[in-house]
Amino acid sequence: MLRFDRRLIQHFDWIILLWLALIATMCLMNLYSAIYPDKPAGTPVYIKQLYYFIMGMGLVLAIISVDYRIFMAWNYPMYGIICLLLLYALIFGNTQSGAQRWINLGFFNLQPSEPAKLMLVITLASYYSRKDTGKGFTLKELGIPIALTLFPFLLILKQPDLGTALMLGFIFVSMTLFVKLKWQTLNILLGVCASLIPIAWKFILKPYQRQRIETFLNPEADPLKSGYHIMQSKIAVGSGLTFGKGYLEGTQGHLDFLPERHTDFAFSIWAEEFGFVGSVLFLSIYFFLILWGLNSAVSSRDKFGTLLCIGVVSLIFWQAFINLAMVMGMLPVVGMPLPLFSYGGSSLLTTMAGIGILISVRMRRYQVPS
Amino acid sequence: MPRIRRAVEKIHKIDEEELIILKKRVDIATTLIIIFIALLIARLWFLQIKKGEEYVKLSENNRIRVQQIQAPRGNILDRFGRVIITNRPYFNLVWTKEDAPNPDEVIKRLALILNEDISNLLTSIREASGQPRYMPILLKEDIDWKTLVYIENHHFDLPGVRVEAVPSRDYLYGNMASHLIGYLGQVSREELDNLKNSKYQGGDPIGKMGIEKLFEKQLRGEKGYRYLEVDVLGFEQQILQHQDPLPGDDLQLTIDIDLQLTAEKAMEGFGGAVVAMEVNTGKLLALASAPPLQLEEFIGGISTKVWQEHLNDPLHPLIDKTIQGQYPPGSTYKIITALAGLTEKIITPQTVFYCNGGLNIYNRRYGCWKSAGHGAISLQRALSESCDVYFYQVGQRVGVDRLAAYAESLGLGQKTGIDLEHEKPGLTPTSAWKKMKKNEPWQDGETLSVAIGQGFNLATPLQICRMTAALVNGGKLYKPQIIEAIKDPEGATLEKAQPDLLGSVYGSEQDRKLIIKGLIDAVNTRHGTAGSAKMSTITVGGKTGTAQVVRMSKFRSIPEAQLPRKYKDHAWFTCFAPAEKPEIAVTVLVEHSGHGGSVAAPIAKQVLEEYFKGKIPRETAE
Repeated sequence: MLRFDRRLIQHFDWIILLWLALIATMCLMNLYSAIYPDKPAGTPVYIKQLYYFIMGMGLVLAIISVDYRIFMAWNYPMYGIICLLLLYALIFGNTQSGAQRWINLGFFNLQPSEPAKLMLVITLASYYSRKDTGKGFTLKELGIPIALTLFPFLLILKQPDLGTALMLGFIFVSMTLFVKLKWQTLNILLGVCASLIPIAWKFILKPYQRQRIETFLNPEADPLKSGYHIMQSKIAVGSGLTFGKGYLEGTQGHLDFLPERHTDFAFSIWAEEFGFVGSVLFLSIYFFLILWGLNSAVSSRDKFGTLLCIGVVSLIFWQAFINLAMVMGMLPVVGMPLPLFSYGGSSLLTTMAGIGILISVRMRRYQVPS
Repeated sequence: MPRIRRAVEKIHKIDEEELIILKKRVDIATTLIIIFIALLIARLWFLQIKKGEEYVKLSENNRIRVQQIQAPRGNILDRFGRVIITNRPYFNLVWTKEDAPNPDEVIKRLALILNEDISNLLTSIREASGQPRYMPILLKEDIDWKTLVYIENHHFDLPGVRVEAVPSRDYLYGNMASHLIGYLGQVSREELDNLKNSKYQGGDPIGKMGIEKLFEKQLRGEKGYRYLEVDVLGFEQQILQHQDPLPGDDLQLTIDIDLQLTAEKAMEGFGGAVVAMEVNTGKLLALASAPPLQLEEFIGGISTKVWQEHLNDPLHPLIDKTIQGQYPPGSTYKIITALAGLTEKIITPQTVFYCNGGLNIYNRRYGCWKSAGHGAISLQRALSESCDVYFYQVGQRVGVDRLAAYAESLGLGQKTGIDLEHEKPGLTPTSAWKKMKKNEPWQDGETLSVAIGQGFNLATPLQICRMTAALVNGGKLYKPQIIEAIKDPEGATLEKAQPDLLGSVYGSEQDRKLIIKGLIDAVNTRHGTAGSAKMSTITVGGKTGTAQVVRMSKFRSIPEAQLPRKYKDHAWFTCFAPAEKPEIAVTVLVEHSGHGGSVAAPIAKQVLEEYFKGKIPRETAE
């Protein structure tokens, strides 16, 4: 497995490495501008993020040096560890603004809910590719994937982190739609989902979560904080006009967010400074990765690789879309970072690990399975 | 690596057919994704191109602010609905970091205008450093009219400075019932951390002590808010949206303003407590601790210097003595001893003991307060004239542990359960207690001290009052209540208090009536110790008491008038009226003032007179 296959280097995707470097540069630039001109104490966030990028690169190299099928073998132990970490964080973890829980590792604050997303991708990909008989899954056969998704979903929902929990849901749906289902199964699932919405609204959502959705539907009715931030975010984005105000020229006074918001609204800073042109450019660069990832899925040599790619792509795409829509006032506020762009170590490392998987699958597409 | 090989073998390879399906699905996904991206770009176009200019205006020339509107706090009323505490608007000086380009200059100028130490202003600003820059910081509360006018006129010279009108507490009766009602203050950092919900922000008022604190949730109402567009100078351009605040609920106390004021006035200059309770319900008509708190000192936070002064004051103004003051009950305890003796059949109303000024027992002489002695004495006179020797005899036969049981059944030695903070339980000593606490066995002589309410005994004025009520209301121990009702801002009753029966007293009604007879005599006969509580139209019954402060014999021989205050005994008087069908029980404790009959009883009489004023036509004074 660790045989040094010269073809690996041949098929190594230098493009994506360049792409990562480009995104990293844009991210660091943006973080610098977010803080500017305040000089906070301690290591500035853009330096910390740089460290995370370097760590991320190391992670990518580690992942691509092994055959990705090793993840299938170690799938369940990894899943178990993540669930234990989630439990630990729920019981003993620190809370920031009452949402995401993390575990203090000294130099690094680990949010287990982040790697949990990637873990779900691997677990579902592993299950679906092993059990796929080509005749389509019945509802009963979906029982295990649903349970595998539900367990971390509930643990994360209890934190209470509605955003990340929903992400797990999105990943499950995206990946499940890519495997063959019996029609019956699909219909039943759709019906159940539709009927769950009013139940979830009444019994599962907390009052402030309900309020956020109501705020979204009627932004002017929000008492204080989150409606105010959306308004400021729209002002920041909108006032960028066509070409933006210029780097470092954004009026930061308006974006004086409470610390936990600082990560989520990173894009508004970019949009204000580089305008419509800069924003569309950013979107194009960003979504290049999505399309490239889908392409990797198609060119993969086995089903596991395909599903891994689909899963990672959905993970990155949905987070990005929800974040951008939220920043522009199209969706209610949920704590969802923009992958690779918002400040945060756990999110960055998880995303880069996902990209590492994408590269790994793509690199080995010509290998004949032994 | 067999494990991997096994896993690998299980992986489904992709055949031609599946590949076509996969490609089709990926195409669909790609199309969907492109649609989503197009949505985002469309939105961007909408915000940046279509509405861009508008947003530029909002970001540069105009700003959007959120203003909180404070909710009017609930009123506090007395039992007849008369308002004790309400709200009045006052004006706060606030400062918004974001609007002030030259903060140092502005603060310096403000310090001069407000006549305030600049370090105080800087402290307020520093404390609020965690807040966003657009949130106003409270610099000074309750500025006077002159300052308000000056600030408004010099608005342009003071960028970032603004005046906010907020509702605040208006104490219509000054410091009346100050310990009970408590006061408000700004919510502190620790309180913000502890409060789970985010209803509070820096600068909000919150109850810090007493009823204001314990019923904070009902009193505070719900804040309103306003979205404002302000220009670069901070002037309001237009209101975009607003929501009215909801006033808090009103609290109706069981306190009667007239009784409370009478009690507090009578206690002026003294330290101590007055408790007046409705005997059949447990509702408190007056709850006064002397000296009262000066509530204005607490507005805006009490200064350390003043706090220190209060701590060192020998009258201890900071303590609510009605529930926190623990004193030996003195002769008021004889009610318990009598009840124990009768119920345990150790004495009957006819049992006679001989008092010659003292009792020789256990190799000692235990003195009676009347050194000449009471002669042959039975229960009724022993209560009326408060003979110590009689009760030494009874107590010695009952024993300390049984005495403790009777004391507890009358509510001593435990918290009364009143809805107030920091209530103290008092102490009813037993032999087991002494072994545990002091690691010594109980001495027989100590029982004699207990029997007359001295020694290790401790009780609060509230406990003694409730004990009196339980004696005369048929033996029922009620939970003392201070809240009559909670009403919503429109006046509808949300909750109404009902009497809460906690327990029954040992002994028979017949025995209790015997004791009551003795207490009536104490007030109404010539030799009774409580003659100064006698009223012309109402029959009062009561018991005096003197709580020894110092037991050392060297002090006991000095005439009382010459003793320094802190060595003087505490004076008790507890009573009930009208004796035929008691409605009210009043207990008075005056610290360090000598005998109960001379100091405490007249105060209780004043409270009783106020209570019966207008209820029964007064005959002309004798």
